[in-house]
Amino acid sequence: MRRMRSLVLSVFLTLTVLSLLFVSPVRAADPIVLGCPLSMAFLYGWAAERGFTLAVEEINAAGGVQVGSAKRPFKMEVIDTRDLEPGVPVSEALLALEKLILDKKADFIVGGPVRSEAALAAMPLLSKHKKVSILTTGSLTPNYHAMIAEQYDKFKYCFRIHGEAKNLVGEIFANFAQLKEKHGFNNLFIMAQDVSHARGAAELVKKLATDKGWNVTGLEIYPTGGTDFSLGLLKAKDTKTEIINIWMDMPESAILLKQWYDMKVPALPFGSTLAAAEQPGFWKATDGKGEFTLCNVVNAGNAPSNATDWTMKFFDAYTKRWKVEPEGLGSSSSYMAVYVLKDAIERAQSLDSDKVVAELEKTDIMSVYGRLRFDPKSHQVIPAADPKEGAVGSILQWQAGKRVVVYPKSIAMGEIQLPPWMKK
Amino acid sequence: MDILIYGTINSVTLALYALGFALVYGVSRLPNFAHGALYVLSGFIAWSAVNTLGLHYLLSVVLAMVITALIGSAIYLLFLIRVRGMAISEIIASYAIALAILEGLRWIGFKGMTYTLPAFIDGSTSIGGISVDYQRLLVVGAGVALVAFLWFFTRYTRIGLALRGMAQDERAALMLGIDSDVMAVVAMGLGSMLAALAALLLLPLGNIVVESGYNVLILAIAVCIVGGIGSWVGAVMAAFLIGFAQILTVVYLGAHYQMVVALLAIILTLILKPSGLFGQQKELEERV
Repeated sequence: MRRMRSLVLSVFLTLTVLSLLFVSPVRAADPIVLGCPLSMAFLYGWAAERGFTLAVEEINAAGGVQVGSAKRPFKMEVIDTRDLEPGVPVSEALLALEKLILDKKADFIVGGPVRSEAALAAMPLLSKHKKVSILTTGSLTPNYHAMIAEQYDKFKYCFRIHGEAKNLVGEIFANFAQLKEKHGFNNLFIMAQDVSHARGAAELVKKLATDKGWNVTGLEIYPTGGTDFSLGLLKAKDTKTEIINIWMDMPESAILLKQWYDMKVPALPFGSTLAAAEQPGFWKATDGKGEFTLCNVVNAGNAPSNATDWTMKFFDAYTKRWKVEPEGLGSSSSYMAVYVLKDAIERAQSLDSDKVVAELEKTDIMSVYGRLRFDPKSHQVIPAADPKEGAVGSILQWQAGKRVVVYPKSIAMGEIQLPPWMKK
Repeated sequence: MDILIYGTINSVTLALYALGFALVYGVSRLPNFAHGALYVLSGFIAWSAVNTLGLHYLLSVVLAMVITALIGSAIYLLFLIRVRGMAISEIIASYAIALAILEGLRWIGFKGMTYTLPAFIDGSTSIGGISVDYQRLLVVGAGVALVAFLWFFTRYTRIGLALRGMAQDERAALMLGIDSDVMAVVAMGLGSMLAALAALLLLPLGNIVVESGYNVLILAIAVCIVGGIGSWVGAVMAAFLIGFAQILTVVYLGAHYQMVVALLAIILTLILKPSGLFGQQKELEERV
């Protein structure tokens, strides 16, 4: 019996020593946890998750991230913030974010919160926990990077890798100017959803348009979940509007576009973050009624183009992996965020937040949507119209069942077309 | 003219949202908070029948209405019958069922903006210089026909008369041999079918999204409270009141305030006339 006990003890001790010898290196290869707070029921949520997953799979397949002497894989922890859903309070998104940090032990935060209001509210929380966060989807409010610039020491852990509303407005105005020059358009009607970024952008468009000599025929703000846009469209028609600028990411924007088609409103629907029109399934969903709709998918790679050598590689890999083309805002930027983070961690040789922040500020890589650098003061990705200079946007138009990139010129695959009932 | 046309369309839309809810409450005093969820569910059933099973659209519509009616009846038989008469429990139970349906739909993958149903009639016409699409005109026509049907059904059919009897006085109806639970099952089935009918008429105007279930419920409740909970005639009147108020708000104040109208109507009704325009219940009972 005593011999038996000794034998068991010996086996136990041997196993313990072996585990110390062989398990330790495995422990050294603990994954780097990416906390992804996303509104999963919406395009900007699941598109981001797919972008992250694709990048994580590619990086892990290639060996992982070199942190000092160890190669460590990425691991994703996704949590549904539900912040894009009407009526869901910001506090829910903050709770979800805190859970990622405290329970899931996220080393970095990538993705959201997706709604601007929630993203802004999350900033102090990220500072409190000193968590490096890269916003990759949804939130477009210029206040985000303005706050970082104003209180750098407090909010230096926050970065945004996709375009923001002011830049989007600039891109849209470049198109308006072209349309004015080519077709003599001068009347602009604005329709926006009652959310922070859309309201702000709509007001900005109104002001800029007036300053630039456009006749702003109306500005209508619709509650999230609004289902009837007929009176706004009639107003646009009556005022001989030529462009309807739409700032809506709610699903009901599909109703607006169908109404526009059915009423044959002689004005070009020009959307920004028009989630319904971004998705490849939009054509089938509207029975083609969405033809001629323009929308800004914020960054190249979210629709087919040849912005850089990496653009179509990403596009094809995403399509192969998910059996659907990149669907809109959040796809390419989320994919790139993982690569940018890998690059910064490897240069920092550490997961230490301050060291990674310093390296992220030095980021300069050619990405899916052009040269990718962050403004060192505001941590906003630096935009450009040329992919060699900075992160390029993408404005697409639905033409004969396809999403055709029409802006910027440097990556355009076609030109803006007018619906037949608008042609003089 | 645009106010008249789109006010009417908006009002009929609200009436369609609310009629099923009003009918169920009117007959069985059961606040069916799963009404909005059944609305969305029927849309996805029709979508699946068309796109997954490859059935003809009209057949899919009929199928969706029948299945939704059966699900509504099953909800009563399996769950709500156990809490019947306990108002708060009825609300909690039916709302929990709504959450289960809506979140279940999302869980199995019905998310996004690309789920749509085709319009019954495509194209548009001009009325007094105002452009209106045929589907919206169909909605108005169907709404009017539905109200006429309900009026006929509740006055000239045995089941309809039994439902009215239940609505007027459940004890007296029981004494006359009308089975209260059977009528409640019928009411839930019919109310669910009305939710499905509303969905199948209105969803082709946009897309089928889970979130709309909550919106439909809020609007249905607003209409029913203003009209007098349980009175379907009141629901129709209230739908027109709120519908036109919303359109006038859009025209004179801005679309931004559109949603506030329905909520304001609830508050004003509860303050000024808690029993609603055509409510027959005692004020205290309604407050409870």
